Amino acid sequence: MGKYAFYPGCAAKGASKELYEATIAVSNKLNLDMVELPEFSCCGAGVLEEIKEVLDIAVNARNLAYAEREGRDIVTVCSTCLLVLRKAKYLLDNDDELREEVNEILKESGLEYKGTVDVKHFHWVLLEEFGEEGLKEKVVKPLTGLKVYPYYGCHTVRPKDIIGYEPSENPQSLEKIIRALGATPVCGERRLECCGFHAFWPAPNISMKLTGLNLKDARKESADCIVTPCPLCHMNLDANQERALKEVGENFKMPVLHVPQLVGLALGISPRELGIHRNITPVNCVQIS
Amino acid sequence: MESRKVIFRIKRFNPKKDERPYYKEYEIDVPKGMTILEALQYIKDNIDPTLAFRAFCRSAICGSCSVKINGYPKLACKTQVFNELDVYNTNILTIEPIDNMEVIRDLIVDWDSAIQKMEKMRPYLIPDPEVVPETLDEECKVYPHELKKFDKFTDCILCTTCYSACGIVRVDSNYGGPFPLARVYRFAVDPRDSLKKERAKIGFSFDMWNCVRCNKCADVCPKHIAPVDGIMKLRGLSIEIGLRNNPGARHVMAFYKSLQESGMLNEVLLPLRTKGIKGVLENLSIGIKMILKGKAHSPIMKPIKEHETLKEVMKRAMEVE
Repeated sequence: MGKYAFYPGCAAKGASKELYEATIAVSNKLNLDMVELPEFSCCGAGVLEEIKEVLDIAVNARNLAYAEREGRDIVTVCSTCLLVLRKAKYLLDNDDELREEVNEILKESGLEYKGTVDVKHFHWVLLEEFGEEGLKEKVVKPLTGLKVYPYYGCHTVRPKDIIGYEPSENPQSLEKIIRALGATPVCGERRLECCGFHAFWPAPNISMKLTGLNLKDARKESADCIVTPCPLCHMNLDANQERALKEVGENFKMPVLHVPQLVGLALGISPRELGIHRNITPVNCVQIS
Repeated sequence: MESRKVIFRIKRFNPKKDERPYYKEYEIDVPKGMTILEALQYIKDNIDPTLAFRAFCRSAICGSCSVKINGYPKLACKTQVFNELDVYNTNILTIEPIDNMEVIRDLIVDWDSAIQKMEKMRPYLIPDPEVVPETLDEECKVYPHELKKFDKFTDCILCTTCYSACGIVRVDSNYGGPFPLARVYRFAVDPRDSLKKERAKIGFSFDMWNCVRCNKCADVCPKHIAPVDGIMKLRGLSIEIGLRNNPGARHVMAFYKSLQESGMLNEVLLPLRTKGIKGVLENLSIGIKMILKGKAHSPIMKPIKEHETLKEVMKRAMEVE
């Protein structure tokens, strides 16, 4: 089994606290060797690049350097953190001049980026460690009959040059997990479309419209719920659901679960431990006792 | 030679004749190595001469043959049929015209709207007389470190693949779009240009802050240009020239401030820092719901361990030329 440094990201430590709780619960249940490093900082969500590219890379080289020091691959539950950290790693690994420049910046703090650790998403780790069949064996409460819309969003799959875990045009990792849990994936045409989260502040109506269209698509496919690997997509789809549906002239309730919440339910972890009670849109698609 | 039977489900539409678009299927034997464009040409030559599509260079340079293959825009001349069958684990490929532009006929779209928008953004060199000599007798040098800043953006072939895939182009008619905005950046950092960073104002007026950074443009670009990188850098230039009193720029600075203060994003203060009181009021009802669900932290955040190293790294990074 691999050794992992857990990088929750800011959302899982704040507005998506339930994601943090569910991840820890699932990780404990599956005996994953995953520890959170207290030195980890916010990745900057890509916006630091808008101030200065080298600032964004240096901040994340620092995060990578701390994981290297512990000899642990980084595992994150946030798609944007995934992209930002992988992008920094990609640029540092492929540009000697940049790497030298960034290491000069880190030197004063006694750190060095060597390029020895990988950055992975939590659900990739589940598949890598257990496989679809292995995960199936761990299931104690199969989610039989549950129709789940796998909503990837953007940064778990794109851009392929940097993420590259699976074909970005037709990823299957979420479908594999859904099937392993005994549920049925129902795929719509917007499962890879953006939720608009990163334009929420400058253009809330546009952001909400994109989210509304995604929710509508899940409804069209008769999904009982949506599952997403990204807390930012979750925020738009779950917390902002009412507003998003209003933007596209709809009114219904669609439960939205984080991947570890869905996995945890099938593993027999209590809904309370998975923070289900914190979801804004009621999760009434599964038996919660 | 290995071959496979493939069904091409092609979207057809002739606005002069048809009331609405429809799909027509063609089954052909595809040898290994055949491209989508070669398959389309085979269908046109041997089965249905009425099929209309664009194809000029066949070398991924002219950009004319961009089509949607199973929902994903790609250059037909660069894409091999077998690869697509493997990605989708199928023997049926749906071929459609690219999005965000009007269909002229079958797989041919009207690029004019995208190109006209780009033209308005003046993405061409406006020579700086202090740098560019008046006559050809003198050289105008661009040094490698200067070229590095915009080199990749010069590879754009105007295929409009990124524009067709952009979700914001679809919902915001004023949005410049990926390749035009990346072009604006390309000239904004060209040392020969007279407008220089002021070009960020053009990006601003064409809604560059509405880019959702979904990276779809980076993913579909046949030249691996990543227009989104240009858009982000153009936003950076706008902050540099002082266009800071807008939600986009203030959002960026809110992140910077949070990292300086504690190392983590202060989500509670984000609405206030990004949009002021308006931001708080607009999100008050959802904010209350989140607080009631225990989804908010204290506005005063405890710094991460080794916060000093983060501040030092940030300080030194900001000092880099």
